[in-house]
Amino acid sequence: MDAIQLLISSALTFAATGLLSLLLRGLERPARVVSGLGGAAASVLAFLSALAAFVGDSASLELTGFSAFGRFVLAMDGLSAFMVGAISLLAFAASIYSIGYVHEYRGRGCGELGFFNNIFIAAMLMVVTVANAFYFLIFWELMTLASYFLVIFEQEKKESVSAGYLYFLIAHIGTALIMLSFFILYQQTGSFDFDSFRNAGLPLGIQSLIFLLAFFGFGAKAGIVPLHIWLPRAHPAAPSHVSALLSGVMIKTAIYGLIRLCVDILGAPLWWWGFVVLCFGGLSALLGIVYALDERDLKRLLAYSSVENVGIILMGVGVGMMGMSLQLPTLAVIGFLAALYHLLNHAMFKGLLFMGAGAVVYSAHTRNMNEMGGLARAMPWTSFVFLVGAVAISAIPPLNGFVSEWFVFQSLFIASSTELGVLRVFAPLFAVLLGLVGAMAAMTFVKAYGTTFTGQPRSVHARDAVEVPGSMLAGMGALAIAVTLLGLGAPWVTPFIGGVAAQVANVPTETLASGIQIFPGNEAQGVLSTPIIFLLHAGLLTFPLVAVFALGGHRAGQRVDADPWACGYGYQPQMGISATNFAQPMLAAFRPLYLLRTLAQKPLDGIASFAKRFGASLPAAEPVVERTVSQPIFAFVRTVGGWVQRMQMGDLRMYCLYIFIALAVLLIVIFK
Amino acid sequence: MVTFVLAGILLPFLGSLLVLILPRSWVKATSQLVTFAAMLCTLFVLYSLGMTGKVGYTQDLLFFGDIVLYGVIVDKISALLGSVFILFGFLVVVYSGGYLSEKNRDHVEHNGVQRRYYFFLLTFIGAMAGLVMSSTMLGLLAFFELTGVCSWGLIGYYNDEKSLKAALKAIVTTELASVGLFIATAAFFVLTGGFQLSAFATLDDTIKTWLFIGILIAAWGKSAQLPLHFWLPDAMAAPTPISAYLHAASMVKAGVYIFARCLLSAGTVPQVIGVVGVIMAIVTMFYGLLMYFPQKDFKRLLAYSTITQLSYIFFALSLSIFGSATAFNGAIAHVFNHALGKGLFFLVAGAVGFSTGTRLLPNLKGLLKKMPLVGICFAVAALAVTGVPPFNGFFSKFTIFAGGFEAAKNAPLLMILVVIAILETIGSFAWLFWVFSSSVPGDSSAEVAAASDIAPSMKFALVILACLALLSGFFAMAWLK
Amino acid sequence: MTTGSLIFIGLLQAVLVAALAPLFSGFARVLRAKMHSRHGPPLLQNYYDLFKLMKRQEILPAHGSLVFRITPYVTIVSALLVVMIVPILAADSPFGWVGDMILVVYLLMLARFFTSLAGLSSGSTFGGMGARRELFVSALVEPLILLVLFVMSLLAESTNLGAISRGVATGAIPYLATVWLGMVSFAFVVFVEAGKLPFDLSEAEQELQEGAFTEYSGRGLALMQWGFYMKQLAVVSLFIAVFVPFGTMTTLSLLGGLLALAIFLIKAAALYFLAAILENAMARTRFIKAPSFTWIAVGVGLLCFAFYLVRI
Repeated sequence: MDAIQLLISSALTFAATGLLSLLLRGLERPARVVSGLGGAAASVLAFLSALAAFVGDSASLELTGFSAFGRFVLAMDGLSAFMVGAISLLAFAASIYSIGYVHEYRGRGCGELGFFNNIFIAAMLMVVTVANAFYFLIFWELMTLASYFLVIFEQEKKESVSAGYLYFLIAHIGTALIMLSFFILYQQTGSFDFDSFRNAGLPLGIQSLIFLLAFFGFGAKAGIVPLHIWLPRAHPAAPSHVSALLSGVMIKTAIYGLIRLCVDILGAPLWWWGFVVLCFGGLSALLGIVYALDERDLKRLLAYSSVENVGIILMGVGVGMMGMSLQLPTLAVIGFLAALYHLLNHAMFKGLLFMGAGAVVYSAHTRNMNEMGGLARAMPWTSFVFLVGAVAISAIPPLNGFVSEWFVFQSLFIASSTELGVLRVFAPLFAVLLGLVGAMAAMTFVKAYGTTFTGQPRSVHARDAVEVPGSMLAGMGALAIAVTLLGLGAPWVTPFIGGVAAQVANVPTETLASGIQIFPGNEAQGVLSTPIIFLLHAGLLTFPLVAVFALGGHRAGQRVDADPWACGYGYQPQMGISATNFAQPMLAAFRPLYLLRTLAQKPLDGIASFAKRFGASLPAAEPVVERTVSQPIFAFVRTVGGWVQRMQMGDLRMYCLYIFIALAVLLIVIFK
Repeated sequence: MVTFVLAGILLPFLGSLLVLILPRSWVKATSQLVTFAAMLCTLFVLYSLGMTGKVGYTQDLLFFGDIVLYGVIVDKISALLGSVFILFGFLVVVYSGGYLSEKNRDHVEHNGVQRRYYFFLLTFIGAMAGLVMSSTMLGLLAFFELTGVCSWGLIGYYNDEKSLKAALKAIVTTELASVGLFIATAAFFVLTGGFQLSAFATLDDTIKTWLFIGILIAAWGKSAQLPLHFWLPDAMAAPTPISAYLHAASMVKAGVYIFARCLLSAGTVPQVIGVVGVIMAIVTMFYGLLMYFPQKDFKRLLAYSTITQLSYIFFALSLSIFGSATAFNGAIAHVFNHALGKGLFFLVAGAVGFSTGTRLLPNLKGLLKKMPLVGICFAVAALAVTGVPPFNGFFSKFTIFAGGFEAAKNAPLLMILVVIAILETIGSFAWLFWVFSSSVPGDSSAEVAAASDIAPSMKFALVILACLALLSGFFAMAWLK
Repeated sequence: MTTGSLIFIGLLQAVLVAALAPLFSGFARVLRAKMHSRHGPPLLQNYYDLFKLMKRQEILPAHGSLVFRITPYVTIVSALLVVMIVPILAADSPFGWVGDMILVVYLLMLARFFTSLAGLSSGSTFGGMGARRELFVSALVEPLILLVLFVMSLLAESTNLGAISRGVATGAIPYLATVWLGMVSFAFVVFVEAGKLPFDLSEAEQELQEGAFTEYSGRGLALMQWGFYMKQLAVVSLFIAVFVPFGTMTTLSLLGGLLALAIFLIKAAALYFLAAILENAMARTRFIKAPSFTWIAVGVGLLCFAFYLVRI
């Protein structure tokens, strides 16, 4: 079976699983299990198809469809195969996880949940492989539609329903922008196929227009600031395995779209395109993490963190695009490598974190971190994998988050040495921004892990929490393993992703790894070896252990005391640091950025009140046309009718006169 | 073949006569049988046309001397639209069987089955079929007028002051507008010596312009475009199946249809008509969108939505004058898809009224919980009408926009109008989806919680339409390729 | 130098720093005492403290978790790894083939992450506040570290610490205004990272009962203290390696090694001496005022960057 056949069978399996779980919706347990196992099987097929595409040549399928808008084309080149791989990995973990997790939704439609979830994943797979603009839009909207129903799944909560509405509205507006950019390409080339777009040779002004439309259209879906407002509302509202998919891969399909349209098809000819992407990326990274710090709802914190990571990915994309436009192949490859590697890494660890949050919600029945605490005792495995995720997302060596951020730094380093003045000035500043963002991310996730899992339980629910079912642990465990392997296995993963990046940038591949080291193009610039770091971590443990042994420390015992020191007062759990006040100094220091959020609300409120007043005045306008047009006409008709009426006055003699006149006229006419 | 076409047209007329004669208890069954037979005939015509490679042909039928008074033209468009109108007519007849009963909490039907209703409805179905298949101007005019009379009869069905006024308003407006068609037909006869549409292409440009102005005025009146649109929201006093059929799916499409048929027959049309058409269409679109916001009555909101969707079709037809065949196909596809989608939406409104007794949107909350089938059909209808794939509206709207961009290659100013049309789509989506979002998911309001069950025939019609709303987009695209 | 000799030098550096870190912190303690007109403890007092603590029973808080127990080890391991990468004895970075300056910065972050988490995990108020302050200060200071190191890397055309160090040592990177300003900013950073007054914020003895260290005792406390001293020395050695790297050996030899060690000890002692003078001349700043200091330092850093752009 070649790659395309595997992909189609995977999509069909997802669809079949969805339908089956819908049919089984009366029975909760079978529906859950079918949906989960079917989804997992389909994900395996999709992953195999990605592997097949990498091993073989780029595969494609064309069906002369029934529409005038070109053929149904599926093409798996390096980028598509990479996306399919990422989606399938996360979908696999999420499907296994959902077997246990959906029990939380018993009685509220487990079958429907399975249906929409599987359709959603199938649509995503199609989005990243289809190579015709018309079908792309169909699957794109289908993806949004399926995920909309998942977001409003807890329909008794008004916030979920309104979050879903806002999500769909902004996504629809984004789709309209993307559609416009496709239409401009259609107008110039006469077809909707990506292949014909590629060789279009359009004037640069039109290309820039297409780029701007596509950037904001895809950006609305990816969650860049300022189009991100739906993300912190919609991602927490959905069930947790769906949130994992939304944050982990759905927003990445938007980045895929951006890369496909602006880099692959248009070729990124102008340097300011990449710079715009870089700037918005940096802005999103900063604001995303700043807002995440403020949150006490665990899932909203993770959602804002997704905005931050999308910003980091876009920084890589921006640098890569600038590399392409400046004809610097190394810069282009490293930039895209960083972006794609971070895309995959984020999918893995954000998926893990969301699933961990779901496990916490499953046990402690709350999303508010102030009411959690001490869950590490009750849920040791969950807390361990969550810690792995938190360490990874804070970019701590040797896990995967560090590797991709290292590449972003290296790409900015290369960019700082180019001839372009703007880059020489701004690239180091963006590197510093990235450092700041990284430090704040560490702060955020210390808070997230610390207040949730450590300390003392701060509510009854937290005290009564128990460990989650095995399937949920298995799903999370799979992702934790992936996170570790992507980090430690960097020397083997990097050339792979580097090849994809080179294909995207349309340049020959660079050497990015040798042996167990990775480096950005040339070894002299800087080298990293994650396996050795890990081994050193393990090996250097001997120092303290030897020291302890040598100094007789092993003979001193341990005693577990009851409470921490509280200056002699009786200790209470509320004395510990809580989620609300943990980041308080940060909030004070960065107050203008938080004010930005409140200030931005003001014009929106102004528009809303204006719209309301305008809407209230509309009913008065409704009868206007009727009065100005119809009533004069009716009046005229009635008047004419009145005149005609006068002829029929009821006098028999007048009628005889009419008959006589008519006969006379007829006689004269005939005999003339 | 022509026999089947004629059967499709005449069977409903036969049925309407039978309704007047037969005993009361047979009326419902007879109507359903007759329309089912007519539907099969038109579907067969569609099928055989598809098998023979979609080659159209004309057959002249009624003569006066050697002037052809009426003939049938069977081509891609007439077969497609004829079949959807008759099919939907059948579904409406079935739905009405369940709707017009004492259980209807919106309008309690005390007197049982009314012959008047089925008489006018069946006559209308026949008239619609005749209109679509007509190959002469006279045929277009005659059936055009007949549909107006049936609409008057049906809007005033409930016989109260409001409906009688609405019916009168409707017929006077559409009749005044049809003066344009009368003059155009008369002029046509004088200039070409006959009524055959095929002679249209032989006329010169100035004459074409004047004829089209007459046709456009009639079309605007019938299809409720600015400034002759005001009768449609008031016509919602009709029973909901009638609103669904006449005032969403077919009668209002009659105006669009005559415009489309004349465009097709006329060959190249002077661009001034196109300009007038697009501008009026965009103005109507915008006005219709603005009027969504104050509407509290579900059916009135849907009426304004119909007005905007019709203006989309006019927009597309006018764009085709600038040289885009895609736009023309998009318009026809949209007639097809909108009939099904908006029809479903109206029937949902009817079901809601039937079971809860109210049509006011602020009172309708949490439909999905109490009436899952109705809730799902609401979702399907909203998505179909606003153009979200995979439902049908997306495909025709996309074709229209593609056609717009195609046409704008020769006339760049059209791009602005196409962008405005896209903006309007987003506005429509935002509002209609907001209505969905506040009415369907969530906890039920008091009226909804006390809702009764809907009749099985209504459920049947809703389910069939929902499936069609999913599939018809693909079908239309494939058919019109 | 060959990889083998580099590995040997790296391990040697680790052992030396592990052994000497308490000596330097003891030296700082003695200096403070002298400046306070006190007699002060013996120079090796910190060693005695560590040995004593090691033998004491450890008391763990009831709700302390796995994180609490592993943090002392993580702190030591990350400090040692940093020290193995920084060029102390040799001109090249001994483990430079494992990582570069970015890795060093993030290894410091690793230590901070776990220390803060340990502070939170004990559930103690002081621990939590210490954790919060530690992360806050790092958020203010880390951009500055990156900025200065980034500029130095750009001058050296590599992020490898050995390349930077060699560049400054051989004069390939002359002492431009950029480098002087960078030195000033980085000195500030070292000051903050080493937890010296006025930035003794996260282990504010008077205020927070040692902050994140509060609930540690016995063996755990000994290891945490030791790790903290090692981190101080590691950051100081980073400064020396980047800005005053002369005297390191270029080939492996016993004489060269001893000479390099002696020069390093003198440089480090000088820096600790300067730091002690500054530290004891000031009181601890209020926590909320800390950002204003860091903004000044950031300003100097940006000036350094601006000068780099203009190539002064």
